[in-house]
Amino acid sequence: MTNREKYENAFSEALGIEPAQAKGLEYQGIQEWDSIGHMELVSALEDAFGIEMETDDIVDFSSYDKGIEILSKYGVVI
Amino acid sequence: MGYIQKKRVAAKLRDFHRTVKRNNGHIGTAPRIIDLSYDNRCNFHCQHCFTNAPKGVNAEKHIPLEKLAGIADEADELGFYEFDLQGGELLIDPELFFRLTETIGTERFYTYLTTNGYFLDEKMSKRLASAGIDRVSVSVDGMDAHQHDAFRGKKGAYDRAIRALEYVRDAGMEACMNITVGHYNIFSDELRRQLAFCSEKGFSSVLNAAVPAGCWKGQYEVMLTEEDRRHLGELRKEFPNATRDIWNPFDRNQEALLGCNAGNILYITPWGDVLPCPFLHIKVGNVYVLSLKEILDRAFSISWFSEYSEKCLAGEDEVFVRNFLSGDITTENPAELMELFGTKGTV
Repeated sequence: MTNREKYENAFSEALGIEPAQAKGLEYQGIQEWDSIGHMELVSALEDAFGIEMETDDIVDFSSYDKGIEILSKYGVVI
Repeated sequence: MGYIQKKRVAAKLRDFHRTVKRNNGHIGTAPRIIDLSYDNRCNFHCQHCFTNAPKGVNAEKHIPLEKLAGIADEADELGFYEFDLQGGELLIDPELFFRLTETIGTERFYTYLTTNGYFLDEKMSKRLASAGIDRVSVSVDGMDAHQHDAFRGKKGAYDRAIRALEYVRDAGMEACMNITVGHYNIFSDELRRQLAFCSEKGFSSVLNAAVPAGCWKGQYEVMLTEEDRRHLGELRKEFPNATRDIWNPFDRNQEALLGCNAGNILYITPWGDVLPCPFLHIKVGNVYVLSLKEILDRAFSISWFSEYSEKCLAGEDEVFVRNFLSGDITTENPAELMELFGTKGTV
């Protein structure tokens, strides 16, 4: 599985959407990505990539694209 | 607004989420909510008031702001991530209320105000948002304005409550309707219409179980039965904007339970007594005598509170209520923890 697939699967698992729907999403852009869904998403990404995100990054993680940028800080290239 | 706009709240919510995940989806002994009843002054005469505010009981008592600052600091350190400010009716004295929000530090907590909404106009809602209030909760008794006004003892209460929620929503805060559910209304068409109304309006709703206390003292028939609880589960799936403390908010399938939050919530009275939830009139400690940590440890020394309960102890567990809450106890005269449980309930 590629990192892109892992990334989109994390969105799918946390927010209850299809992986293909993840691209372009923004925080609070859909009902499922609220602050509670956000915590599930962070947790799913941490499990998928074996990382532990800092609080600043959790707060800054505002979109699908921003998430890719943030994960690069942890050596994860999507 | 959401929990992650405030960095400190995001950090604590993440810790809470991890704890719940490690604990098979149950809340365990994770700190969650401080419910502060600051004072008991109120402009309403609600028939079911559990603090006896309509009688003016303890209206002038309150914890000094300097003391509250220390309590809020400790609550933050312990990981409490929600802070509920309530009365009485705190918007009777808005300047004092905003000093209170400054004192507790709203940037550290998902902060909410529980109000009857009577004094909450557009200007006030904007001021609340600026002060860092995330959610405003207003109790509404059904869809009948006359019935609500009669129950609350105030003409115009219903219309003002709904308008207040609209102002709150428009100011960008979470507008939350508190709804009491019991055996008497769980299957009613009115409850379903009320939940649908909240969805249409963009309000959330918190469902509080009716408890046989206050004006319902000894009326165990108001409590939710097994069948009622199953129906509540169906309503949960139908109305995802409705929540209960006992439900696991992280479960997208709208099925999992955190378990009863007794002890995870600490309710602080104006004279400093601490109860394990607003509806369990059992004194765990007093903030003038013990630290919050000591109070939390005392609460969780009781297995009823530290162990998982799929039922809300106050509103769904008749065995618990009959055994421990049937005496002549109120928020002003709560049962003493150790006298009530002795060593039987100790872990």
